[in-house]
Amino acid sequence: MPVKGIKSNDQHIWNLANIVGDARSIIYHKEDLIAYDCDGFTLHRHLPKAVIFPKNTEEVAALVKYCANHQLPFLARGAGTGLSGGAIPLNGEVIISLVRMKKLLSVDYENRRAVVQPGFVNLKLTNSISDKGYYYAPDPSSQYCCTIGGNVAENAGGAHCLKYGVTTNHILGLEVVLPNGQIIEIGANGILDEPGYDLLGLLTGSEGTLGIVTKITVRILKNPESKKTVLAYFDKVEDGSQAVSDIISAGIVPAALEMMDKTAIEGVEAASFPVGHPKDIEALLLIEVDGIEAGLDEQINQIVDVCLTRNVREVRAAKDEAERGRWWANRKTGFGAMGAISPDYLVQDGVIPRSKLPEVLKRINQISEESGLRIANIFHAGDGNLHPLVLFDARKPGQSEKALIAGSACLQVCADVGGTITGEHGVGIEKREEMRFVFTDEEIIAQTEIRDVFNPGNLLNAGKLFPTPGRCVEIKRELKEKETYTKA
Amino acid sequence: VLSIKEADLKKDPACTTGLSNFLLKDHPDENKWADCVHCGMCLESCPTYEITGQEQHSPRGRVHLIKSVAEGRLTVNEQFMDPVFACLDCRACTTACPADVEVGGLIEEARGQIRQAMPLTGLKGTVSKMFLQGLFPHQNRLHTLGSLLKFYQKSGMQKVVRKSKLINIMPQHLVDMESILPEVKEPVRKKYKDVKVIKSRGETKREVALLTGCVMDVMFSDINEATINVLTRNGSDVTIPKNQTCCGALHVHAGDRDMGRKLARQNIEAFKDADKVIVNAAGCGCALREYPELFHDDPEWHEKAEEFSVKVEDISKYLFETGYEIPKAELKTRITYHDACHLAHGQGVRKEPRDLLLNIPGVKMVHMPNSDRCCGSAGIYNITNPEMASAVLDSKMENVPEDVEMISMGNPGCMLQMAIGVQKHGRNQKIVHTVQLLDWAYQKEDGKGEH
Repeated sequence: MPVKGIKSNDQHIWNLANIVGDARSIIYHKEDLIAYDCDGFTLHRHLPKAVIFPKNTEEVAALVKYCANHQLPFLARGAGTGLSGGAIPLNGEVIISLVRMKKLLSVDYENRRAVVQPGFVNLKLTNSISDKGYYYAPDPSSQYCCTIGGNVAENAGGAHCLKYGVTTNHILGLEVVLPNGQIIEIGANGILDEPGYDLLGLLTGSEGTLGIVTKITVRILKNPESKKTVLAYFDKVEDGSQAVSDIISAGIVPAALEMMDKTAIEGVEAASFPVGHPKDIEALLLIEVDGIEAGLDEQINQIVDVCLTRNVREVRAAKDEAERGRWWANRKTGFGAMGAISPDYLVQDGVIPRSKLPEVLKRINQISEESGLRIANIFHAGDGNLHPLVLFDARKPGQSEKALIAGSACLQVCADVGGTITGEHGVGIEKREEMRFVFTDEEIIAQTEIRDVFNPGNLLNAGKLFPTPGRCVEIKRELKEKETYTKA
Repeated sequence: VLSIKEADLKKDPACTTGLSNFLLKDHPDENKWADCVHCGMCLESCPTYEITGQEQHSPRGRVHLIKSVAEGRLTVNEQFMDPVFACLDCRACTTACPADVEVGGLIEEARGQIRQAMPLTGLKGTVSKMFLQGLFPHQNRLHTLGSLLKFYQKSGMQKVVRKSKLINIMPQHLVDMESILPEVKEPVRKKYKDVKVIKSRGETKREVALLTGCVMDVMFSDINEATINVLTRNGSDVTIPKNQTCCGALHVHAGDRDMGRKLARQNIEAFKDADKVIVNAAGCGCALREYPELFHDDPEWHEKAEEFSVKVEDISKYLFETGYEIPKAELKTRITYHDACHLAHGQGVRKEPRDLLLNIPGVKMVHMPNSDRCCGSAGIYNITNPEMASAVLDSKMENVPEDVEMISMGNPGCMLQMAIGVQKHGRNQKIVHTVQLLDWAYQKEDGKGEH
């Protein structure tokens, strides 16, 4: 029976609504669609054709088939917290939102794995199994709201990936709807290292260009027996950087080793979760070690000693869980906190060899001075994953372009010192061109050819991940599009 | 090759809001959305996003839409109205937001714009006018309604209506509401109308003025009575300024900011001589504290509103901060506490009421998961958006522990809604206001009362 309550002249809207069987499971008015014109990356905005909310894998497959048969571009979206624009409907896509597929399907404590639907929120998994003493390790800062489906698409990292690895190290199986609507299961039994190509590895981090994940088997871990967290303040950013290198060289593998610079500290202290960090320090380190209780104190002492040799102003361990919680809330809301000191920000995501940290920071500082834009730095210092946050005001003409250029220049620095252009946020729209900093044309073609095997019509999330010719032309064209769109 | 020294790096002037599709009068405050960087940390805190999964029904989505109108990309129309009016105004997003974006204030401003551009017409308009302009601001009419309700309950008419088929023709949410109406008693404003100062029991340490509230004093005058009791017992002289009126929260929530301002001015004047304004309804307290928001375009009243708003305090916070006598009598009961949105998210009052409860001998507190999740009452939201309110309530009730005798809270709207929840879900908890419990303990200590 056809769905009632649709007010549209577009036959596609009716047909899509019929697949999900409910007028409340589709959005197609411009006023509502505007909420979907970007994700956590706000510099590009495009209206989708529609947003549709399937309840199960079969509906996802039927929607995908419909789009494929009618040559409608489409893409999958979770909570839309991605920072590189992976869920932005560049081509007026039909957005298949997976947020209503948000169940925890099963937990197998014996074999330490859980099966979730893609719209299940990252932190909810840990919250659901913590009473049994288990947790899910990948912890992107957006874990309060981001979905595990999105984590798979972006191969999300997080503060604790230094010791535990990123999302791909925790995925045991996937159910995937391919761009032709076919449903396949990879790693169905949750056993690693199946014969054949490593499709799990390929799909994880493919940024929604190879298929739509509809079910995910993840590894869960037993809570470490104990955790200890140290906070260290440095007057000189070089000292802080050196301390990071020294800690790792000393053979300690912290669960997390985070750094914030002066501007970042100004932001988090002005925002909702301040902890009272001094305003005049150049850098702070947040260091966490975990594992068997015995031996942790020794590691903490070692860390404190290292900091002391690097002229630390103040270093101390969290006195209780509440204080530890406050430190982490302050750090984990760091990006959003930039709103308190700047109307907009662009976050970059470079990776560098740890030893180059002081040099890279100096060069980022230069970029900031030359562009006239402030740049805050928050990083997973332990694994050399930098997040320069370029602060700007999109309302001021020219600032968006400046921010893009400054962000790109930061990535160039990372590539120059032997690093790469993304650690965990993905390439998306934002870093397409910067792929050229780290790959030759041949290497890029080798990858797009793989995409074409899965996604031959390129209807699924087109225009992401790989460069298109002429960066400057591209920016100008898109700004122009934005302008016309504003007037429309 | 990329270079940041290109010509386009020249300093440029800031844009103006010349494109805005909002009306100039009472224009939403640009700084409120400028802080939003679209990070999405608010999503999971939002009850309407939880239920719909749709981002136009999420805090950042709503901010994005409001911003889009200001940028000239959208116009104020029916379709824009839906997400803006489906917001519960529960402020949970304000707590979750890393950048302190005032989503609640922005929503209220946008509603004001919608009502300016599209005044309510037809039945909705009439009903809204009847309640918001014709009833709440008028003490006498409220009292008359109270007397009618009392008559309805005492005369046996309630029994007749419930037994007859009459109840079957009412919409379900009104049937639910009818069934939980508390027993109506004499309003304190009537009772104390000739008393200038209600004297403290012992030595006077402080003087406070009490906001009696409109619904509170008609439906829950016993809570006002309890509030007066605990205040006078703890050294405060209480006055009930005569000219006070409805706080205007419901009007501001509904977008009627002119009426909101009118009521605000009247209250500011009425409490001019008070040093402290005590409120026992979270929604009213929050509204009073936010009066300055209503006077952006009026410096004179803005200043008066600022002076007034700092005097306003929730009863639990006031007792907690000025000190109170810990009751000696035991109230053997297991209770759980529900954080009213406009106390927890709106005023940051969380530990104070819990402290009052925990200090009553014999009271055992049971933790309610997600205790600061909205119950769906949200002013008159449960009347204007019954379907969503009911879904929000169901989700709330899942978190109410089974093994408690009472659910305590600090807001009359929540009390009515939670009472509906208890009944709808076949539970048997009693709904109480935090100060009521404290008052009962005092009464027991004095050898009075039934508790």
